[in-house]
Amino acid sequence: MKKIAIFILMFLPLICFGELFLEITKGSEDPFKVAIIPFEGSPGVSKKLNKVIRNDLSRTGEFDLLDASLLLPLIVEQGEINYRDWNLLGMDYLVTGNIIKTNSSIDVNYEIYDIRKKKKVRSSKVFGLPNQLRQLAHYTSDGIYESIAGIKGIASTKLLYVHDVKSNNLNTRYRLMLADSDGANEQTLLSSSEPIISPSWSPDGKKVAYVSFETGLAKVYIQNIATGQRDSVLSKNTQISSPSWSPDGKYLSLTLYQDGNAEIYILRLRDKTLTRITNQFAIDTESSWSPKGNKILFTSGRSGSAQIYELDLRRLNAKAKRLSFEGTYNAKASYLPNEEGIIFVHRSVSGLFHIALKYKKENFIRILTEAKMDESPSVAPNGNMVIYGITEGDQSMLAGFSLSGASFKLPASEGEVREPAWSNFLR
Amino acid sequence: MNKSLNIALASTVLIIFSACSSLQVTEESVSNQAVAGVTISSKSMATKAVLANAVVYFEYDKFTLTTKSIQALKGVVDLMSNNPKIILSLEGHADERGTREYNLALGQRRSEAVATYLIANGVKRSQLSAKS
Repeated sequence: MKKIAIFILMFLPLICFGELFLEITKGSEDPFKVAIIPFEGSPGVSKKLNKVIRNDLSRTGEFDLLDASLLLPLIVEQGEINYRDWNLLGMDYLVTGNIIKTNSSIDVNYEIYDIRKKKKVRSSKVFGLPNQLRQLAHYTSDGIYESIAGIKGIASTKLLYVHDVKSNNLNTRYRLMLADSDGANEQTLLSSSEPIISPSWSPDGKKVAYVSFETGLAKVYIQNIATGQRDSVLSKNTQISSPSWSPDGKYLSLTLYQDGNAEIYILRLRDKTLTRITNQFAIDTESSWSPKGNKILFTSGRSGSAQIYELDLRRLNAKAKRLSFEGTYNAKASYLPNEEGIIFVHRSVSGLFHIALKYKKENFIRILTEAKMDESPSVAPNGNMVIYGITEGDQSMLAGFSLSGASFKLPASEGEVREPAWSNFLR
Repeated sequence: MNKSLNIALASTVLIIFSACSSLQVTEESVSNQAVAGVTISSKSMATKAVLANAVVYFEYDKFTLTTKSIQALKGVVDLMSNNPKIILSLEGHADERGTREYNLALGQRRSEAVATYLIANGVKRSQLSAKS
């Protein structure tokens, strides 16, 4: 019964931010119980800041936050923590903090107390500008998450995705978008009359690579986020697609069509040297680097159906190793950050597409999603969350889940949202 | 955007672990990244006529021609041979199912398969322009 009560607490109402609407659909089964005393100090900003912090932590699904209205009799005075009372309330942690706002800055101070161990475990300061309130809240919630969950938080990371909107004259406008990891603060990086696919982050989060069909053919471009400067990566008269950045930022793996068939190449960005790494009559595409940069995952049709293969880049003429065996379609794979498994698109026996996970140690796959047309999974840099595209009715939108069992959705107010890509840690 | 400010605040993350206890003390500044958007205006569209009856269907996931698709292509061979000035643009498509990059590759293989058939039946390579 207790677990059911926790579940109901996690069903937060729809919260509106910008163009995507964050909706938390389910929480994990064994969350940390945390009391956050609302941060005070600046009436103008404290409500919003507290809301973003609570929302960030709720979205992980790993936190059961005590209802703020139950906190009144337990307000902390001068750092005196009544551990016994917090313990009676069933809390694992207590978070306190305050906001200091001037005309040119907003700073947040916060402290975390471990109720069972009866001691303070963290004391932190975050400094920001007045226009950085949301990011200030994200940094704060990431600090809280890190102290309690033991791994880095991802609230301060960013998302790329493609947003297709049909205009009145039925022409589609394709937009490459950048947003906070909760879908807020949406900004257009590229707006085009021709399709955009396959966005990929540079590891430092300063550039993006993507495929644009603006010339009629698929071409890969690199664009600087801050300046908007963009360049086609290769001036070759062939289709170029599926970019993926190496973890050190020095290489881009690509699919080239110059051999009459899709083959994977590695482009050294410094001098544009191309090295071909697949040579097969069948399709080879959708390359993705291992976190250490020594291996590449890709999709190949060499067995007669789309399957996932892994190639060791350190060994000359290494043979690609097939990693997927269940079903007739497994594609667009990427590694978990610690390389303990891969996440990919799997077609089930009934012909539906799901996101699946295969741990290296296991000889079976785990199907993680339930919709019909799930696509393009992207793993958060802490390895704990996955964002992907879903189709509900005629509407395509983003959805996410944590490996601890929580899930959320980011539906768009209009148009179709697809192909999310999660940035590295930016904090 | 205020550039000098951006540089000054460029992700100065300072984490101090106090030496003796398990209390973690941190100080950090929120980084401020500027964003510039780019718009691409519509490319000029070449004049094109679509052969409505020349859609060649393939089996799911496959790029080999079926007997039904060969029937459709026979008409195209006659048309091309009788009108050597016509340039035929081949576009391979895959349905919405599956991943976009694999479908792009599948579409390219399908247009290649059609081009190979047409050339084998007397259509000149110069009359064909293939893209996915």
